[in-house]
Amino acid sequence: MNMKLLIVDDSSVMQRTIQKNLVDYDLEIVGTASNGIQAIELVKKHMPDVITMDITMPEMDGITCLENIMAIHPDTKVMMITALSDKLTGLQALEKGARGFIYKPVNSESLTRALDKLLKRKVSGS
Amino acid sequence: MEVNKEEFESTCRLFIESVSNYFSVMTDHDSEINVPFLKDITQLELKQYTGMIGISGNKQGYVYFSANQDLFEELINIFIGIDDPDTDDLMDMAGEISNVIAGNIRASLGTNFIISVPLVFEGRPADLEFPEDTFVYVIPLTWRNHQAYVIVGLQ
Repeated sequence: MNMKLLIVDDSSVMQRTIQKNLVDYDLEIVGTASNGIQAIELVKKHMPDVITMDITMPEMDGITCLENIMAIHPDTKVMMITALSDKLTGLQALEKGARGFIYKPVNSESLTRALDKLLKRKVSGS
Repeated sequence: MEVNKEEFESTCRLFIESVSNYFSVMTDHDSEINVPFLKDITQLELKQYTGMIGISGNKQGYVYFSANQDLFEELINIFIGIDDPDTDDLMDMAGEISNVIAGNIRASLGTNFIISVPLVFEGRPADLEFPEDTFVYVIPLTWRNHQAYVIVGLQ
């Protein structure tokens, strides 16, 4: 059975870009959320194994959402995908429980490479 | 905190690098940056769709990414493979690009360069206001024959 993935990003185009880039990747996409509050509801419902998480979002940002998710489902592997490309934000996310961190702009290659690393899979294309 | 002209131009160079990197990473076609110019923002004609990010923290101001429908349509086609995006998609795309361009600046300026969530608008709203005492730098660019502006305003 494939691992379950939740995509969290306030951009609908970005959500669909991630979905398209992962169409051949062995993950079952169980939902998409546009802010942290929606994401928490979907985590409670689906208990995803993997989450891609934006940071700058309305209603509840990705760092706050990450803290909440770690309290609900600490085994989930959260990878932050954000335009905030300073090191401190990345470190802050890792301290709060994120397992990976990549900066936008994210293309198909950088996304699958980051997921390979997160899930300790054989590197795509090698 | 006020920004002097030298510091402002240095910050604008970061935006040029950021927008160039966006098109380079996300598409097979680099953008061409044309000669930036200083402009009275009240006289600048915006393109069809504009994403705006507010800047606070150690700098105060805004950054816009403004382009016509055809540029956003082509990007959406490349990213998700649809030919006929609706207006929400076009505005979403404008917001996302402005978010990435502004957010990437934090690699150089750090966490005190605080950005807002994107505000997106079509055309030029009548009530659009610009802060006074701002340096406004317009960075024109061309990507696959589509023209766009990155507009940086810092107090």
